[in-house]
Amino acid sequence: MMLLSILVGVSAILLIIFLRSNKSINLVSLLHALYYAGLSIYQMYAGSLPQYYLENKYFFIDSLGIYELLIASVIFFLSILYLEGYIKSLVEHEELNPKFVKLFYICMNLLLMSVAFSFFSNNLALFWIFLELTTIFSAILIVILNAVENIYAALKYLFIASTCMLFSFVGLILLYAFTKHNFGAGTLNWSELMSSASLITPRIAAYSFMFIFIGFGAKAAIAPFHTWVPHAHSKAPSAVSAILSAVILNVGIYGIIRTFAVVRQTSSGQIASNMLIIFGFFTLGIASLSMLQQKNVKKLIAFSSIEHMGTILIAIGLATKASVFWVLIYIMASALAKSLLFLCAGIANRQYMSNDIDSVRNFIKLQPLASVGIIVGVLAISGLPPFALFMPKLLVLIQISKFSVLMLIIALLSILISTGSFALFFTKFFSSVDEASSIHKYNTPAKMKASIIILIILLALLGIFLPDRLADIAGNIVAELKI
Amino acid sequence: MMPPLALPEINKILLVLILFLAVLIITVKDLLFLNFLYRIQSFFIVLVSLALYAPDRKTSLLAVASITLLSKVIIIPSIIKNAQNKLKIKRDVEFHYLTPISSILVSIAVFFAVYLSFSRLITELPDKTFLITGSLSVSLMFMGMIIIFTRQQTITNIIGFLTIENGVLLFSLFMAELPLIVEVLILLDLVMLIVLASLLAFGIDSNIEEFHKKLQPLSKFLGGQK
Repeated sequence: MMLLSILVGVSAILLIIFLRSNKSINLVSLLHALYYAGLSIYQMYAGSLPQYYLENKYFFIDSLGIYELLIASVIFFLSILYLEGYIKSLVEHEELNPKFVKLFYICMNLLLMSVAFSFFSNNLALFWIFLELTTIFSAILIVILNAVENIYAALKYLFIASTCMLFSFVGLILLYAFTKHNFGAGTLNWSELMSSASLITPRIAAYSFMFIFIGFGAKAAIAPFHTWVPHAHSKAPSAVSAILSAVILNVGIYGIIRTFAVVRQTSSGQIASNMLIIFGFFTLGIASLSMLQQKNVKKLIAFSSIEHMGTILIAIGLATKASVFWVLIYIMASALAKSLLFLCAGIANRQYMSNDIDSVRNFIKLQPLASVGIIVGVLAISGLPPFALFMPKLLVLIQISKFSVLMLIIALLSILISTGSFALFFTKFFSSVDEASSIHKYNTPAKMKASIIILIILLALLGIFLPDRLADIAGNIVAELKI
Repeated sequence: MMPPLALPEINKILLVLILFLAVLIITVKDLLFLNFLYRIQSFFIVLVSLALYAPDRKTSLLAVASITLLSKVIIIPSIIKNAQNKLKIKRDVEFHYLTPISSILVSIAVFFAVYLSFSRLITELPDKTFLITGSLSVSLMFMGMIIIFTRQQTITNIIGFLTIENGVLLFSLFMAELPLIVEVLILLDLVMLIVLASLLAFGIDSNIEEFHKKLQPLSKFLGGQK
């Protein structure tokens, strides 16, 4: 399976190098994303999990990895579908040099491969390497536009994420040294660490987790390591922002879940739990307050993404079966809602050539579908029914209330602030009407519209009906994580 | 062959020299000299690997020494030097938040904090010299972080990042040898990161057209439109 995935990825990149038309290049990228979606669905329904690869079991496919891969591949597929028309507009307005279109798609495919292999990595050091590669390829995707501000945004992202990631490597080395000393042979294989986690001494577990959390936390946009997110998300092309927000942040959270599952079984488990809850609330508070005064639509969505990462972290920290189960559904639903908002914000950007609210006029009239998308996205991300985030958000809040009423009040207050910020922002966004305005309508290409329609349908469907197999997989993950 | 007792002492001397070079990196303003200091610091890490290799003759340590020599003493400094030659700014004169002297004082405080913190782990790890080597390595990482936070120019920030990475490498050398394949992949990843960061440093220093000219060879290589 690993060899086939490499083969598919390399073939896609070679085809992109030799193909001439942007349409064919886009199609190849779409097929690449579809391969991973197909692989994850096949493994979910027909595969016996976990499956190990290579003699030293460096790679594996298990329920958590395959679940995350499904979410990531769907987001990649929809973002790539959206990209064809979006790139055309960027090139027409000289925001993207046509010479860089291939480079753009190649980095997009390499990013997809890095994400997929990070989910396939049983070995935490390999996971670390693939996570670092996601930083490199996504930074190139940010910097490729014709704007100096993008270089600043990419550099900030590169320095913060990579510096924090180096600290997380110290945690991995500590863990490796301990296992080498105590288990005979050193290992960073997650499956082996899980089976011998009870033998890891509490101090080593706590120190390792603390260091590892810095790096993975930075990738997951956890405050105070989150400062790269608003710049990178707002400057990147919208399809890339959607991937950064809905996929890359999730890879960071995925790393935290994996290491937390190991540490949770030691007597330092409670320390790790408390740490996640404290950082979760800190992130939630910082992000919701930052949303209040935003005038840039993409920055607003970026801070909302950070806020959701805070909620996810709290739910993981609670470490009950129910909180972890619902956080998995939460991860999926929030990924869809964030992508929808970023893709709609991309249409607004093409319409007004700006992300600033002051430049918006007659949006509903000019872009009815994107308007519906934004309304659905805001309702969904705020956790309102009937959309997919309603149940997981409600049940996570119930879990928080069981833990502490004060925590529930703080969480509700933060959610209220963020929902209020969205309401204020988009009331102004939609109510800016100027009949005399002569803004030329941007004709949104059909594929861009299709991505948005699919996301709206998915958010609505998953709000009404959660497929049994998805619920089974989430249940299996909770069992595998031994929480 | 070197007498076994002399080796830990040699490593301690090398570690002190590496830290002294980090102190210099914190204070130096000339960008080319900064790169030179980084090259020397990395060379000392090669010597540490060789000193660790000498007693047991483990091939993996010799491989780490060779890879470090190639990547951190030759390739990466050359990439940075190449980027520096194209930059208009040759000196990084501004210091933010901390002056060089206060940065050094903070570094000393950080060392003692790390030392105290790691002293709680001493019973649980194999290497009893861990307390000193581990504390020095992690302090080196924090010194690299101080460089990133206190300096303005991207090239200095890259050197700060590389100093952190040298701290990680030292930590890894003293604590546990990771599988060679992992070490190689990490260094490859680092080279890619530095190439990209150097390119971005050039982008900030020049205008966007010049920056995109730098990206064009890569795009042409990948079959982009001429």
